[in-house]
Amino acid sequence: MCLDDQILNTYLDGELGEPWKTQVIEHLNYCVACNTRLEQLKRLRETLLSSALTQQEIQPHQEKVLSFIEKNIIEKKHINIFRKTFRVSMPMVMATAAAFVVILTGVLLFTRPDGLPTGQIIPNVAIPSAGSVVQVRATENLSAAKLLENFTLEEILQYLSSRGYEVEVKVKEIQPVVHQTDQNEIGSEKPAEEPTVEQ
Amino acid sequence: MEVHSSDSKSFRSVYEQVFPVVMRVAYHITYNMDVSEDICQEAFIRFYEKGIDFQSVDEAKYWLIRVVKNMSINVIKRKAREDATVERLKKAPSLPILNGEQALIGDETRAMVRSAVERLPEKLKSVLVLKEYADLNYKQIAGILRISESNVKVRVHRARKIMESMLDREEMHVS
Ligand SMILES: [Zn+2]
Repeated sequence: MCLDDQILNTYLDGELGEPWKTQVIEHLNYCVACNTRLEQLKRLRETLLSSALTQQEIQPHQEKVLSFIEKNIIEKKHINIFRKTFRVSMPMVMATAAAFVVILTGVLLFTRPDGLPTGQIIPNVAIPSAGSVVQVRATENLSAAKLLENFTLEEILQYLSSRGYEVEVKVKEIQPVVHQTDQNEIGSEKPAEEPTVEQ
Repeated sequence: MEVHSSDSKSFRSVYEQVFPVVMRVAYHITYNMDVSEDICQEAFIRFYEKGIDFQSVDEAKYWLIRVVKNMSINVIKRKAREDATVERLKKAPSLPILNGEQALIGDETRAMVRSAVERLPEKLKSVLVLKEYADLNYKQIAGILRISESNVKVRVHRARKIMESMLDREEMHVS
């Protein structure tokens, strides 16, 4: 009986245990069909491998990221223990980014737990404080929404301001109770769960 | 060799060895160099800041690969959602995602492989990318993905089967 692809793939990966391995080798000694199939599977693998990112392509990124981390993370650590890293992920499409952040800001306004009047929670947009690191991410990657929730409105405004956005906060209607419908609508585009753990 | 991730000497040594691997993992899931760089940077920052003790460089590597793989999968999921949202709101014209990408796809084979990998279901994609582009064995992949070895074996096989049929089809289109 001939070998199936599953067996051949496992054999190809060097993961076939005994006694199957010996049996496969014996079979391959005389069966042309299975040898042909094995060759095809090998070629498929080679095609995939040949499209891999090369070390040469990786190198500039490797150096850039290392120097960023050394400057901003490793060296800073010793200088200022109160350093507060303020990293916000920005979407690839900037227009979407602005819209997205503004929407989230709305959420913060509406859900502020202590029920302060809005006037008191909109601060003046201040210059970035000396201790914070503002880093722009080229992409909206990780969990921007989750990150944003950890910042005060002031920090978000500061950040946007430092990025050259002119931020105007308008509250068109404020009701003492949380806007259930608004919330749900926004919730529907809530991004980023925790990284998934595969089952 | 034990590794303490916040020790700058261990950090550099792990970085040197593991960066190319995680960069490949991120790239062959997202197919975007800028995004991949971001993901790797974020992963190494977390790695450094968390101050975790690992029994070996390999253990640190598995941790980093898991983090990078998860972030990469989240990015492509999110990208899909975002595209849908942008489309729905018609707020912005949808831009091509892959700026800075064209330069890399020098040849047709790469482009074909990429489009086939992109169409793989997520679970098969993770396994295939770890197998072919992170050069891991079934046991290592099983540990990183927290699935059984036999599950890895089956998924490798299924992923290759799909890849093969997609690549055959592409080749017919090209020629
Ligand atoms: Zn045979």
